[in-house]
Amino acid sequence: MSDSAHVLQAKKLCFEYRPNEPVLKQISFNAPAGKFTCLLGPNGSGKTTLLRCLLGRLLPQSGSILLDGKVLGGYSPRLLAQTLAYVPQQPNSAFAFNVKEIILMGRFAHTGLLGLAGESDQRVANLAMEMTQTHEFSERTLDEISGGEAQRVMIARALAQQPAVMLLDEPTSHLDMKHQLIIYRMMQRLAHDWKMAVVCVSHDINLAARFADELVFIHDGELVAAGQPTEVITSDILQKVYDIETDLIPTPSQDVPMVRGR
Amino acid sequence: MRDPNRKTPKDVTLKKLGLALAVLLVLSVAVGLGCSLFGPLGFEDLTINVWKMRLLRIAAAAAVGAALASGGVALQGLLRNPLAEPYILGISSGAGVGVLLGLTAAASIGLPQWATTPTLAFVGAIVTCMVVYGIAQRSGKLDPYVLLLSGVIINSFNGAIMLAIFLLTPPRVVIDFVRWGMGELSYSTPPGLLMLCSGCVVLGWLLLMSRAGAFNALGLGDDVASSSGVAVQRLRIETFAAVGLMTAAAVALAGPIGFLGLIVPHICRFIAGPDHRRLVIFSAAVGAMFLMLADTLCRTTGSYLATGNIPVGIITAVSGGPFFIYLLRRRSRGASE
Repeated sequence: MSDSAHVLQAKKLCFEYRPNEPVLKQISFNAPAGKFTCLLGPNGSGKTTLLRCLLGRLLPQSGSILLDGKVLGGYSPRLLAQTLAYVPQQPNSAFAFNVKEIILMGRFAHTGLLGLAGESDQRVANLAMEMTQTHEFSERTLDEISGGEAQRVMIARALAQQPAVMLLDEPTSHLDMKHQLIIYRMMQRLAHDWKMAVVCVSHDINLAARFADELVFIHDGELVAAGQPTEVITSDILQKVYDIETDLIPTPSQDVPMVRGR
Repeated sequence: MRDPNRKTPKDVTLKKLGLALAVLLVLSVAVGLGCSLFGPLGFEDLTINVWKMRLLRIAAAAAVGAALASGGVALQGLLRNPLAEPYILGISSGAGVGVLLGLTAAASIGLPQWATTPTLAFVGAIVTCMVVYGIAQRSGKLDPYVLLLSGVIINSFNGAIMLAIFLLTPPRVVIDFVRWGMGELSYSTPPGLLMLCSGCVVLGWLLLMSRAGAFNALGLGDDVASSSGVAVQRLRIETFAAVGLMTAAAVALAGPIGFLGLIVPHICRFIAGPDHRRLVIFSAAVGAMFLMLADTLCRTTGSYLATGNIPVGIITAVSGGPFFIYLLRRRSRGASE
């Protein structure tokens, strides 16, 4: 791997909210640039906790998270924001900002003390809107657009940070099928075309298996399996992770079989 | 891309110009009105003295109004809660306890009042901030509703302390204390106190101004704000410190003046939109105007009433209470966040 390629690494990560109740146990994986990685696992398996650790919002008790080889805690909030961006599960704005203004907020770590957006900030925001097709409703507030459109706005806002790493927390959990596909295609494109390291927490095995390059299965705070979808989508692993019997149905359009709970 | 509906820089400049004009207008009205209207003729010495007294009082009104209103904007932004303001969160009453202690200390130990009251007011405000914040925060997360409730509790606690102070002071002083507790601007504000307090207000306001962009980002939630470069925990501490300082200065000058920090930010949000970078400026200007006008009303009607001057705190509380209820009702009807 070359020096310039960005990478987010978890090394023997352990986390607990209360003593002796570990939520994450010795989790290690790599999310390199140019790869779309999905974190999968049942409810309560620790996916969101892991994501919050990767964001630097939770401090692991032991183990470490390295961003480009440097410990996450060594970054200032501004510098971290210029490298790593986050998309929440549910878009929400307490104040009635319009879409353009929200996307411009992604420039926070790039602007000065008064937070005034310059011409280059406008340009980056416009590019982010173009990539996410959020132009047409740039004047509306989040309340006035659909959930799928709002999620695209949040992705555009994250893109405006010009990050090398994108973290997304179940970004499609409230969306219709069309928007699920749009968002997953977008994440894939960010990884493949824009060479970002994209990490997404997901509940949808089939979408994840179809679009992601790497799947990381977590069960009860432990990493069960990690690898390419064709390697890790097996009845054994799914049984271990989700505690259900599954049918793997071959599909003509792709290499990965479709998973159906029995 | 061009969008015709968007506010152009010219609109914003016009609004700012209008705002500046309005401030000047209010200022001239406030200076001109009083129990004696100024004409071109008059006794020179007396006129100058009345002018000076009035100017001091008006300057105090402007500082207090600006402090409470921009403090309200900052707290509402920080806590993502339209009901937050220094008075409701108990910061004003904390400063009030400090002021009363300061007045007592000044009377009994002989320290200068302009030094004791703002210092102790600041201590009271900061201690209250820390207690209210300490109750409401759990492992770095802040529950806005618990915060408001703890503000209510601390408010009544501070009220009890003030009553205890009343009990311990001689009756002829108590009447002054009670009067002060209503929230009143006076002609006899020491210039030293005014200078010190205005300085504190400016200092706090500058800090809020530099954090306005962070308040905007915070509206998207703690995690998003933090991931976009806002040091959330630090921002909370800085904001509470700045608002504590400004509130202490306001309370040292005029006593606890309620609801101004609630009404004015909402008026400003209505006029200037949600952007805190604009709101911090607007609210300071509108807050200053609001209190200058309200106090002018108090001064001028006072000379026709048997009670003398009406404390301006009564006016803001009487108008603010119903407004608070209106906001509360509207909020509970709307979808919960």
